[in-house]
Amino acid sequence: MAVNWAQVLFNSAVTGSLYLLGAVGLTLTYGLSQFPNFAHAEYITLGAFIGYFIAGPLGLGLPAALVIAFLCTGIVGAICYRGIFQPLAKRGASIIHLMVASIAVSFILRYSIGAIWGWNPLYFKSWPSFQIGSLRIVGLWLWLLAAAVVLALALHFALVNTRIGKAIRATSSNPGLALASGIHTESVVTMTWFVGAGLAAVAGIFRGADTQVWPTTGWDIILPIFAVAVLGGIGNFYGSIAAAFIIGLAENLGVVALLALGLSTEYRLAIAFIIIIVTLIFRPRGLAMLFRRA
Amino acid sequence: MDPLIYVLDLVVFIGIYSIFSLSLNVEFGFAGIANFGKVAFFLVGAYTYAVLSNLGVSFYVCLIASACAAALVGFLVSLPTLKLREDYLAIVVLTTGEILRQIVKVERGIAGGVWGLAVSPAINTVGLPPRIVSLVNIALVYGCLVICFAVAQRLANSPYGRVIRALREDEVAAEALGKNRAKYRAQVLALGSAMTAIAGGLYAQYIQFIDPYMFMPIITFTVWIMVLVGGPGNNWGALLGAGLIEVFDRGANIIKDYVKLPIDPSNLQYIIYGVLILLVLFFRPQGLLKETPLKTRALESVERGRDTAQDNAS
Amino acid sequence: MEETLLKITRVRKHFGGVFAVDGVDLHIKGGGIWGLVGPNGSGKSTLFSIVLGHHHADDGTVHFQNDCIDGLPPHEIYAKGLVNAFQVPRPFQRLTVLDNMLVAARGHGGDRMLTSLFLTRGWQKQEAELADEAMDILRLVELDRLARSPAGELSGGQRKLLEIARGLMASPKLLMLDEPAAGVNPILGRKIFEKIEKLWQQTGLSFLIIEHRLDLLFDFAQWVFVMDKGKIVIEGKPQDIEKDPAFYRVYIGDADVADS
Repeated sequence: MAVNWAQVLFNSAVTGSLYLLGAVGLTLTYGLSQFPNFAHAEYITLGAFIGYFIAGPLGLGLPAALVIAFLCTGIVGAICYRGIFQPLAKRGASIIHLMVASIAVSFILRYSIGAIWGWNPLYFKSWPSFQIGSLRIVGLWLWLLAAAVVLALALHFALVNTRIGKAIRATSSNPGLALASGIHTESVVTMTWFVGAGLAAVAGIFRGADTQVWPTTGWDIILPIFAVAVLGGIGNFYGSIAAAFIIGLAENLGVVALLALGLSTEYRLAIAFIIIIVTLIFRPRGLAMLFRRA
Repeated sequence: MDPLIYVLDLVVFIGIYSIFSLSLNVEFGFAGIANFGKVAFFLVGAYTYAVLSNLGVSFYVCLIASACAAALVGFLVSLPTLKLREDYLAIVVLTTGEILRQIVKVERGIAGGVWGLAVSPAINTVGLPPRIVSLVNIALVYGCLVICFAVAQRLANSPYGRVIRALREDEVAAEALGKNRAKYRAQVLALGSAMTAIAGGLYAQYIQFIDPYMFMPIITFTVWIMVLVGGPGNNWGALLGAGLIEVFDRGANIIKDYVKLPIDPSNLQYIIYGVLILLVLFFRPQGLLKETPLKTRALESVERGRDTAQDNAS
Repeated sequence: MEETLLKITRVRKHFGGVFAVDGVDLHIKGGGIWGLVGPNGSGKSTLFSIVLGHHHADDGTVHFQNDCIDGLPPHEIYAKGLVNAFQVPRPFQRLTVLDNMLVAARGHGGDRMLTSLFLTRGWQKQEAELADEAMDILRLVELDRLARSPAGELSGGQRKLLEIARGLMASPKLLMLDEPAAGVNPILGRKIFEKIEKLWQQTGLSFLIIEHRLDLLFDFAQWVFVMDKGKIVIEGKPQDIEKDPAFYRVYIGDADVADS
């Protein structure tokens, strides 16, 4: 069977970009707030819907959709933290309680979206694609790659150079000391939830545009998103970058392997699952050891 | 529709979900394990039962085999995270549920894929009036429920129950006092999964048809509400929660036919579930019924001590 | 011939570039009340946590009754007879005081799932016996009236006592206490040590105690190890140590050493 390796590599980069945008928020808030936010997938979904309506029916185009979805969903994320998770934590809720709360939030969000926009899938207009040699490139994917690169660089810059970025790193490695040093940990954490949800929304638009927009757009990729968080090391931004592309590559290689073995490509989900299990067995902290904190 | 049938059907479902709810109560209520993938084991139970019974295996063997299969899966799934914090286990079981559903969707040969599997009922009720069929199932389900309840009660009110509660309260202290956290976690998960599978098998043979779309994460969530509302750490609470939520679920479906709501009731129902959970977590995390305190012969010593003290005082 | 109870050989542990424990040799033979003292940051608690399996030593070995216990998980260290009471008490909050005690019991058949499910008469009998034992210990620390109260409702001092009582319930060969008299009023503190002495005299149970209340410890211990900056600098009988100027240098001497 002839394999178009160039295509596989390119697709891996695209997949990795999507997973990176989708997972950064999860891993950062997980690291800061010490629990996995199972509602994170719904930020992806929400972004997809908002993006669809901004770009499509309102005809404002993709860039506007990205920005507006980022902001709106970011606000939702911040509200989730300030309105639900933080108050619960203040009341002494355990990690399990917070996880249960996040599942409750995910159902509220998902079924609200279903109530408002229905369960029938919506489709973005199809994107032009073109060939470069043996490589088939869909225009949308270029946007995705660009978005991932730009946003990752921006986040890196912010973490290293801005006051709030340094505050995020400080709070993430030593919350008590950060608080004692006068860092407003609450604002820092809220900002992280805002940005995390916003990035997920961006991922949602691309995912929705590439497949379909419906209330489980986010949940459909929850497995690889968690795989990125686990493999990259919970709370570790740089680790998640590496993990996202590793998983993107593994999935695309996996599809090739599945086809070669005559198995259904629906099994590609299992790849992320196996990565989670293997990571937890052998290196529970994931790639975090290789990268400095956050 | 015959209202009596409707009620009997509700009773059967309450029974099935009671077993389901008990299993989570043992895992979470007593042992503090966050099993966010209950539906995975429900699926294993239902599909194992279906496949075996279609091969002609008898009811009891099917049920026991389902329980064993799920216990094995529960044990295997717990292995990677036995020594890790509880959130990792939650992630693993949740994703296991998603994977299993995917496998079942894809594997047409064994599991019928998206077209599902027909399941023959445990007791051959062909030709019998529907009411009798319901009553037969009630007997079956509640028979199993009684056994599961007895097991859950016995376990809760025993030294083993005390150890798992201690591990729930403070793992580090419990380990320092000689309790192997990994061993207990694996055991409880295996037992809980076995119980869940029994519920799954009973479910499969009652509705006589299963497909992957019946095993969505919402089921896990529903069972969690039952336990949280009823009261974690209280087996009666688990039953109460199952009853209340099932009745609410049916009520919501009935209202759909009679009242025109601005929001589609199936969406609204789950939104209400989410809000309900948040309310419980904020205002009554211990649920309706409080945790059952341990009652064993150990209490006799306390009474004797009190009597002695009173004798000495007088 | 006195039997070796605990033998710590050349143990070292560093955190981030600083050696918290820097080559410690500690040998406890036979029974008695043994003390471990030293200024804050001298490495006493770190040494404890290494022995109890909460941390791995970078170097050296720990033997308990001639068994190497390096790298054993805490529950296996308990099984060997080495039990500790935490410095900050860790009660099982929602369990009763009596249940807290019963968790600590050693060799309870009911700890196994199948036994609990099926061999009811057997474990119920054990429950009654162990509960009697627990109540005796609770009477010793005067917590018996609170046997059926949830441990979460106990005061700070009561939690300290429960912590120690739980350790005793575990039938240890060596009970390691980390500051048993800390955070309790002086009278209660002395009472705790009196009870410890009584237990040693009546049951032969050995204790290794970290304490800052040197006045108390020196009244009751037979042998004391003094740690400073990760090493054991002096050891001996309390009355001898009190006369040793090196001892005072450890606590007061260097300008760098903050306080004790």
